[in-house]
Amino acid sequence: MRIELDRPRCEGHGLCEEAAPKLMHLDDDGELVIDVAEVDGPELDAAKAAVRVCPVAALRLAAA
Amino acid sequence: MMRRIVVVGNGIAGLTACDSLRSAGFDGELTVVGAERHHPYSRPALSKALLHGGSGSGDGGLRAHELPEPGHEATELLGVSATGLDVEARRVLLDGGDELPYDGLVIASGSRARRLTAGPGRDGAPRELTLRTIEDAVHLRERVASRPSVIVIGGGPLGMEVASGCLHMGCEVTLVSDGLPLVRQLGDYLADLFTTAAVRQGLRVVGGGKARLVDDGDRARVVLADGTVLEADLVVTAVGDEPNIGWLAGSNLLADGALRVDSRGRVRPEIVAAGDVAFFPTRLGVQRVPLWTSAIDQAKVAAVGLLKGEAAPEFNFQPYFWTEGFGLALKAVGFTPVQGAPDYCERGGEEGSELLRWSNADGSGTAAAVNFRIPIPKLRRLADADPAGAGMAAPRPAATARV
Repeated sequence: MRIELDRPRCEGHGLCEEAAPKLMHLDDDGELVIDVAEVDGPELDAAKAAVRVCPVAALRLAAA
Repeated sequence: MMRRIVVVGNGIAGLTACDSLRSAGFDGELTVVGAERHHPYSRPALSKALLHGGSGSGDGGLRAHELPEPGHEATELLGVSATGLDVEARRVLLDGGDELPYDGLVIASGSRARRLTAGPGRDGAPRELTLRTIEDAVHLRERVASRPSVIVIGGGPLGMEVASGCLHMGCEVTLVSDGLPLVRQLGDYLADLFTTAAVRQGLRVVGGGKARLVDDGDRARVVLADGTVLEADLVVTAVGDEPNIGWLAGSNLLADGALRVDSRGRVRPEIVAAGDVAFFPTRLGVQRVPLWTSAIDQAKVAAVGLLKGEAAPEFNFQPYFWTEGFGLALKAVGFTPVQGAPDYCERGGEEGSELLRWSNADGSGTAAAVNFRIPIPKLRRLADADPAGAGMAAPRPAATARV
């Protein structure tokens, strides 16, 4: 699966980073950076958790 | 040995509890009971993106609330309510008459909008709209589309977000607020910031004490305690929420009508609770904190508390709050309301962009970003430490911070 970010929607709450710190982080300007976009196995669970906690649904998982 | 866990409630607390149970190793039978017919969705987005639809990412904000399909592989009973609980027999009673046996129970039944009126008006139509569910949001959006005049009752974050959304849609909006809007939640400095912006955008703010709705034909009429009478096409109330604990009435789990948990989310060893329904210990005392991140954090703690008991980590509640409206977006870390002016202020590039910090009387800090892009971990560090320690610029005297 592939993590997709709807950038205009992202408000930089950073809950996704707390759920999946190995996959994404907020940079110094508060912009979200997806470090690992293609995920499977245990990383997929972390990615799902990150997608789910986003209060503005800015993240999605799509078929790779 | 826990083989069967039932989760009552399918909002973000219930969903997070399911996920957390699975990631903590629970591989038994998991059943979720949800009164709403939907998979979980983002409630904060309903009053923010949904009402401000038309800007942003092209779908009018209508999908801003959507969460992905859950992956916890629980049996989902959606559109089903719990009606009772037999603690001794360890059974949840459902509204169809069925019973669900459990070894472990997660109570995440949430809360509902508090209303000023008990039932519909004389013509059968609801006298007040509230905003809590996706259906409420869609209905409100439809009603607001014809640009009616609107009275919003309630000067908390939800009332202010609704007022902002209605103004944005072109409505004439009156906000009824007992005291300065947002002051109870945020303190006078931030409340003043938002109210000033709101009034500048055309919001009419009216005090006058407790509001009462009068059923009087076509137009909605609101009478305030001081005798002020207001009329509009539409009344939206945002006067708080009430925990969904009716189904626990005969369970002996409630103390003074409230459901309280310990520092690991437990009501009893085999029953935990999380989210808007639960009172939990914080460093400022036992509180109910009906907010998104609070629900998520409580549910994570409660899931582990249910599986591991005393060996589970205790909850260290770290408040995170955000709201937006009238051209302002606020993110705050730490307890609010904050007293007085901030003792640290950094101006951002854009007009009205500020990074603020208050030192609270109990020694903790609260940091707030207003129209200021900052990673939330950095905002947390600012709240936790004095600005000098967080590598920030030297504080300016608060008196000159705002121009």
